[in-house]
Amino acid sequence: MGKIKVPLTVIALVVIASCSKKDSGKTTAPKITTGVYSLNQGSYGANNTTLTYYDFGSNVATTDYYHNANGFGLGDTGSDFIIYGGKIYIVMNVSGNVAVADALTAKYIDTISFISSGVNKGPENIVGYAGNVFVSSTDGTVSVIDTNTLSITKSITVGSNPAQMAISGTTLYVSNTGAFNTSYIYDSTVSVIDLGTLTETKKITVGTNPGSIAADNSGNIYVACTGDYSSVAPSLVKVNASTNTVTFVADTAVGIVRFYNNNLYVTGGYLGVASVRVLSTSDFSAVKTNFVSDGTTIITPYGLDIDNATGDVYVGDAKDYVSSGTVFCFDKNGTKKFSFSTTPTASPAKVVLIQR
Amino acid sequence: MQLFALQTCYAQQKDSLSPLKKVIVTGLKKTVDFTTPIPFQSINHETLQQINAESIADAAKYFSGVLIKDYGGVGGLKTISVRSLGALNTSLLYDGIPVADAQTGQIDLSKFSSTFVQSLELSQANPQQILLPARIYSAAAVLAVATNTFNTKNFTQKKWQAGIKQGSFGLWQPFAGIYLPTSKSIVISANAEAIWSKGNYPYYIENGMFSQKAYRTNSDLKSFQGEINIVKQFKDSSQLQTKLWGYSSERGLPGNIIFFNNISVQRLWDKDFFVQSRYQKKISEHTSLLVSAKYSSLFTRYRDPNFLNNAGGLDDRYTQQEIYISAAVSHNFGKYFSASLASDFASAHLSSNIVPFATPTRNTWWNSIALQYARKLWQINSSLLNTNVDDKTKIGPAAVHKNEFTPTIAASYKLKVESPFMFRAFYKNIFRLPTFNDLYYTYISNVNPKLLPEYSKQYNVGITYSKNFNSTLKQLSISVDGYYNTIKDKIIAVPSQNLFVWTVTNLGKVHIKGIDVNAEANGNLSPAIRWSVRIAYTLQQAEDVTDPSSSQYKNEIPYTPDNSGSALAVLYYKNWSTGYSFLFSGMRYTLGENNPANELSGWDTHDFFLTRAIKLSNFNINIKAEINNVFNERYEVIRYYPMPGKSYKISITFINL
Repeated sequence: MGKIKVPLTVIALVVIASCSKKDSGKTTAPKITTGVYSLNQGSYGANNTTLTYYDFGSNVATTDYYHNANGFGLGDTGSDFIIYGGKIYIVMNVSGNVAVADALTAKYIDTISFISSGVNKGPENIVGYAGNVFVSSTDGTVSVIDTNTLSITKSITVGSNPAQMAISGTTLYVSNTGAFNTSYIYDSTVSVIDLGTLTETKKITVGTNPGSIAADNSGNIYVACTGDYSSVAPSLVKVNASTNTVTFVADTAVGIVRFYNNNLYVTGGYLGVASVRVLSTSDFSAVKTNFVSDGTTIITPYGLDIDNATGDVYVGDAKDYVSSGTVFCFDKNGTKKFSFSTTPTASPAKVVLIQR
Repeated sequence: MQLFALQTCYAQQKDSLSPLKKVIVTGLKKTVDFTTPIPFQSINHETLQQINAESIADAAKYFSGVLIKDYGGVGGLKTISVRSLGALNTSLLYDGIPVADAQTGQIDLSKFSSTFVQSLELSQANPQQILLPARIYSAAAVLAVATNTFNTKNFTQKKWQAGIKQGSFGLWQPFAGIYLPTSKSIVISANAEAIWSKGNYPYYIENGMFSQKAYRTNSDLKSFQGEINIVKQFKDSSQLQTKLWGYSSERGLPGNIIFFNNISVQRLWDKDFFVQSRYQKKISEHTSLLVSAKYSSLFTRYRDPNFLNNAGGLDDRYTQQEIYISAAVSHNFGKYFSASLASDFASAHLSSNIVPFATPTRNTWWNSIALQYARKLWQINSSLLNTNVDDKTKIGPAAVHKNEFTPTIAASYKLKVESPFMFRAFYKNIFRLPTFNDLYYTYISNVNPKLLPEYSKQYNVGITYSKNFNSTLKQLSISVDGYYNTIKDKIIAVPSQNLFVWTVTNLGKVHIKGIDVNAEANGNLSPAIRWSVRIAYTLQQAEDVTDPSSSQYKNEIPYTPDNSGSALAVLYYKNWSTGYSFLFSGMRYTLGENNPANELSGWDTHDFFLTRAIKLSNFNINIKAEINNVFNERYEVIRYYPMPGKSYKISITFINL
């Protein structure tokens, strides 16, 4: 019987190891002053989406700030978030809810479930307007959430598998991807929703598999169409928001499109270049083929957000989508100001500024 | 002692054959496990009936160096990876003929019941016999299942068994088998087993104030498997074995735990069928022939009604068919030297209702030569495998033609005949092609057909000790093997573009260092009380050495514990036996980046059983009661796939075997 000794010793070690693990999450988080939140998606099925807070004063990134503040995790695959009316709304795609927390403390307020009749609607993207937040879901709807009652007041049917949204004037534009459809039959439309009546008034055909969408300040929206990964090439499409007609199309692979200071800032996405480019809004010609001017290496630009006040550009580097991500901040000239790791979580998807 | 001699002869002569001899040997305490040049482990029928093993996957957990990826419950996928080389580099032999799956490259071991298994054997590198189909040389390790059906000598009269197992979480497992000797040296036998399991075991979600106890849902399994075997023994002692095997199941796929979302509606149906035949003949005193053929058809249906597409969900159906033939011949050149040649061909075809679908066909030729030089104190075995692969597709590009030569060399050495110690070493080089899923799963990118094969090299040195005593300790065998494996161009799926679109790439380089320890002992505490113990232990380090600039560099690859092992201790008294078994695994990381958030706690489970055989005039009644995971350990083998806690099982078997 003496032979069992060796493994038993090992068990003792294992037990010790497993005890030490549970202590994580009890660290106290610093108070939020001025900085940025980064939403890090983590891995699909791993319940490891985190929110990192990076403080401008101390230059310290606090990982998993939400868990630290609440003692529980966000869940699986956070796809988008906004701060609106003093609250933070985090869209949890696979967990099927929108988590609502106090913007300045990240303290839990509520979760708005997107599970309906035993089906996860698949909440994806979020924008705020006039006391409501709008959440697009993979099931082909845009849900209207009243930010006072934190309840879904209306569901607007759009195209198939809507992804991103942008507001121009009093109109909400929603890109319909059709990315889940069988036989690779993608959608090719952008839904136009009147924010007064909260109804879809039109679908504009833009190009195959429209994804990222941005509005400028002169009545245009820009839609990045991914194509079908095969015969239909990716394209960037300009739409006049007053006539709702396509005014310009160019074949260029774009993952995310953002508008700042009369230019478009774009990532290459899956099929394009692995650098952030600056494009002209008129003909999409490259103003800068690489916005980063100081040689900083970004492996996989995954998140792209711009501080409209300063022109600071935040780029989330997803690297291999498995390792901890990095968020870079560049000034408007493309010189790195700072960066922070989103450890332990992969795929930083979005950055939002927070100010006390 | 006579049987021991026979078995020694089997081990020394290695003239290929045969399940026939094997079956005779099995049931006795074998020492062959500890005397082969290549690490070899086995579990016999008696042990299989003692441990808690619904399928051969549960039994394989008792081998050293093995990781069974277990997604939980009776219906959960269970695959075997040996020495961290991956499930796709392990081959399964079912009564001597490979079970293949060109679509996924891995076999779900939960489909193979342990009820009718005579022995389960794990050979690192190649099995010891020299007369083998060439295809067997293509795997890093070979798990061989031998059923109790192909032994004509054992079945001189009608034999049968029937019984039922009943356990926690709605498990019912009835089974029956009959073995009918007919005239003209033909034995016809049939085995069948059904499993119903609800699998609704409790588990615990840990997430702060949202922590809760819950029960697995959509985890039910209904399965039926059966086989019909015909064995013809010819006058010249050649034998023809034919097997028809079928498996049909429907199960829920409970999926992993998702915080805030407990919906689980995905279903899986399997309908598998194969017919295989083996003909063995001694052409002359020194020459033997082995011809094998197989046709298999695997049908899978996967349904996800909640998938948000334009077709009301996913309803994917795949049919895979394979034709396989093999011819092998061995010859003894004098007393010490023997050689074999084998040539195999397989054509695998996959079709699906998915549109568009590549509809690939893969034609593979394997040719092998094996040489063996065996003296009294030492032996050298070597083999060389040539693999030729061609893929064809109906739509889209196909993988390029491959032609590879991969060798194995193994040797063992003893100082003296009577010495209990033996030294051994082997080297094996293999490659595996990307699977149909790797290459043709989506037509999203044309990159996949350019995937390269994955290459694995194994180096092993070991020492074995095996000695018979004449006391309370009758026999003691120990083996310690150290190994070093390298994987190049490891094929891995990685997310790209976003978390839902994955591509398959040749990204990995892995170095694996490990030590496997196996020990078996048995004896008599008193004339009436017999005991036996087996222990397996693995110490392992598997590092990702792909990219020095990556944060994963020199980190442990996912799901590889530093320490893992098993133990089984059994006491026998008259018609009673009782035993304790134990499995443990150290902490693992769930992702390639070894930070504390990716730690998955180690675990250990403890099982107890008690059996009683009631001997009646015409048959025996065997009754068994077991308590599994007696300390109700809460654990996961794969993160967020909780494993069952404490459970009970009783079984009753009527048997005249």
